[in-house]
Amino acid sequence: MMDLLETLVDAFFAPLWPPVLVGALIALLAFGQRWLADQPLSCSTGFANLATSLRPGGQRDRDGDWRIVFLLGIVLGGLLAALTDGAPAWQGTAAEFGRFYSALIPDSTLGSALWWLIGGLLIGLGARLAGGCTSGHTIAGVAMGAPASILASAVFFAVAVGTAQLAAWMLGV
Amino acid sequence: MLNRRNALFLAFGIGFGFLLSRAGATSPLIISELLLFDDLRLLWVIATAVVLGGVLTWFARRRQWRARNTGQPITIQHKPFKRGLIVGAVLFGLGWAGTGVCPGTALAMLGEGKWFAAWVGAGIVVGAGIGSWLNHRLGSR
Repeated sequence: MMDLLETLVDAFFAPLWPPVLVGALIALLAFGQRWLADQPLSCSTGFANLATSLRPGGQRDRDGDWRIVFLLGIVLGGLLAALTDGAPAWQGTAAEFGRFYSALIPDSTLGSALWWLIGGLLIGLGARLAGGCTSGHTIAGVAMGAPASILASAVFFAVAVGTAQLAAWMLGV
Repeated sequence: MLNRRNALFLAFGIGFGFLLSRAGATSPLIISELLLFDDLRLLWVIATAVVLGGVLTWFARRRQWRARNTGQPITIQHKPFKRGLIVGAVLFGLGWAGTGVCPGTALAMLGEGKWFAAWVGAGIVVGAGIGSWLNHRLGSR
């Protein structure tokens, strides 16, 4: 009995959980939102609300405050995960870029900052034009069988896979 | 600001951010392994989430499960085929492949202390603002 408990505690503190378990928990969480609030998972719309509320003179959408609160929750969730990943204390987990991103992203501080800023710009702009991101279109939309979400997700993955494979080939990594 | 709805979504956000981290989605290395087909663990995460979500949606529709807040059957919302969908999806794919980050994971990475994600997050806010303006100009939300 104690052994089982110990195994479960160890499993909880593992930085990575089995993929099928995490996927199932994400599905239950996303469905929980629809059951309790009748609101599918959504991230990028919250970023649009955040952009509006930060713009001088922008009219804040009071009914959409929960979207920004949700985004804040994700930050806290990341913090909670980093605090419980088995490392002695929160150490500001350094990002692992691997050989692909290490080769792709410019080395200089300014160059990498610009790269990430422009990358983020493409992500934010693209998600608003497409009407959703990997949360709203892929996890929530495809599960609901929405044709527009299936198309958007297919394009997300085809372009991302194609771009990464081409870049990896050109960089020789 | 602090009402039931916001408290609920704060909890959902914490759960989602935590799970994104445990999935490995907050590591650019693991994103690159997915896109280069080196390690498909994230594909299994996404596939399981979508398939189980689909099964739950099917049951909800068939059994007319009711949402707790409205008392009505859970709505099945289909996002529209909006103008700009394809162009937007292509731009999103480029940004995602270029950085190894998406809107949800950028936030979870900030919580984990992966500070580079602040640059990506700032870009997403500006990009989302421009996107909203363009959507307005295109005459569709």
